[in-house]
Amino acid sequence: MRKDNIKIAEHELIEGIRRKDRMAAEALYDMYSAAIFGVIIRVVQNQELAEDLLQDTFVKAWNSFTSYDESKGKLFTWISNIARNSSIDKLRSKDYRNHSNIDKIENNVYAIDEQQFVEINSDSMGVRELVEKLKPQDKIILDLIYFKGYTHVEVSDELHLPLGTVKTRLRCAINTLKSFFN
Amino acid sequence: MEDIKAYIESGVLELYVLRNLTDAERREVEDMCLKFPELNTELSQIENCLLQYSNVYSVEPPIASRDEFLSSMNFEVQAEPPQETAIVKLPSRDKSIRFYKFAFAASVTLLLISLFTIVNLNKELKESKNEIIALQSSNQKYASQVNYIGKELQDNKKFLQVYQNPEEYKLVTLKGTPKAPEASMKVAFNNGKQEVLIDVSSLNLPATDANHQYQLWALVDGKPIDLGVFDYTSGQPGLTQMKSIGKAQAFAVTLEKKGGSKTPTLTEMVVMGGV
Repeated sequence: MRKDNIKIAEHELIEGIRRKDRMAAEALYDMYSAAIFGVIIRVVQNQELAEDLLQDTFVKAWNSFTSYDESKGKLFTWISNIARNSSIDKLRSKDYRNHSNIDKIENNVYAIDEQQFVEINSDSMGVRELVEKLKPQDKIILDLIYFKGYTHVEVSDELHLPLGTVKTRLRCAINTLKSFFN
Repeated sequence: MEDIKAYIESGVLELYVLRNLTDAERREVEDMCLKFPELNTELSQIENCLLQYSNVYSVEPPIASRDEFLSSMNFEVQAEPPQETAIVKLPSRDKSIRFYKFAFAASVTLLLISLFTIVNLNKELKESKNEIIALQSSNQKYASQVNYIGKELQDNKKFLQVYQNPEEYKLVTLKGTPKAPEASMKVAFNNGKQEVLIDVSSLNLPATDANHQYQLWALVDGKPIDLGVFDYTSGQPGLTQMKSIGKAQAFAVTLEKKGGSKTPTLTEMVVMGGV
C-alpha cells in the first residue's frame, strides 16, 4: 500500500479528467485501480491478463471520457462496467478460449477466493463479518451478476433456480450490503 | 408505493447499474426514475453497495502498472505556446540585427581599405609617369647622341675616304693673301665626281661678324664661279660639301655680305690656292 496515493472528491476528479489533467489521472488510478483490478481478476482468473485488462480499462476510460454522464451514475460504476465488459469480452473471444482450458464459469466463482493471487483487502474492516452475513446462496448470485455480467435469466439457467428466486436472493444480498455499509 | 417497492424488488435496478439491460429496458428504468425520484436514491445506494463490495474484494495491482498507465497518457500541454513563440522570435531578430551590424562594419572596413589602396596606387602611378618622362627624355638624349655620333662617324669615314685616296681627291691648300697673311684652309676636289669639300678642321680664317659670310669661288679659265657660302667656326671636325664643279684651276675665298654675292669682292679675298 502506497501512502502517497491521491484521493480527491469525485466531482473534482471528474473535472480534472475533463481537463486532461495529469494529477486527475493519478487520482483516478489511485482511487479505483485496486477495486477495478479486483473485479477484473475475479472475471479472468489470470494475473497477467488482468494486468493487461487493467491498463486497457483505464486508458479506455481516459480516452472516451466524453461518453461518461455523471447524471446516470457514479464514476466508479461507469469504470467498473468498462472493466467487467472488457474482461467478459476477452474471456468469450475465440482468441482467448483457444489458448486456455479454464473451467466452466460458475465453478470459477466458487474457486475465486481460494486462488492464491487473490488477496482480500485486509485493510477493509469486517470482511469476515460481511462474508458471514452474506448468505452463500445470495452471494453466488451477486457474484455471477456482478463479476460475470450474467442476466437474471442466465443465472436462473446456470443454477437451475426459478427466476423469482434469483431476483429475491439478489435483492437479499443487496439489502445485506446496504445495511452493512450504510 | 407498492408498485415502486415491487419494482425495486424485481432487481432491475441492479442490472441497470451493471449495464446488463437492453437499450429499451434501460430507457424504461430512466423513465421510471423521472416519475419516481426515490428510485434515484435506491440506485445510488446500490451503486454505493457495489463500490464497497468491490473495495472489500479489491486487489492491489503491481506498482509498475501505475507508471505504465501514466506514461501512456497524453496530457494537455501545460506550456504557454505564445510566450515560447515570442522567446523564439527575439533571438532570431537579434541575430539579423547582429548580422546587419556585422555587414555594415565589414562594408565600411572594405571601403576604407579600397580608398587607401586607390590613393596608394594613384601615387605610384604618378611616380611611374615621372619615371617614364625621365626615361623618355634620357632616351631622346641617347638617340640624339647616337645620331650625332653616327653623323660624326659618317663624317670621319668621308674624311678618311678623302685623305686615303689622293688620286681621287686632290687636296688643295689655300694660303693667306696680303690682307690676311696668317689665314689658310684646305679644299678637297674630286673632278670625276664633281665634288668640292671644305676641310672644316683646317679652317684658319679671321673671324666674321653676323652680317658677313665667307664665299668659296672656283677659277675656271680665268672666270670666278660661285661654289656657295660657309660659316667659319674654329675647332669643328668634318667636311662641308659645296656646289659641284667639273674642273677648276684655282680656289679662292672672299668675305661677302651674308647670303653671298654674284661676283667676288676681290679686295676682300682672304685665301687662295691653285690646283
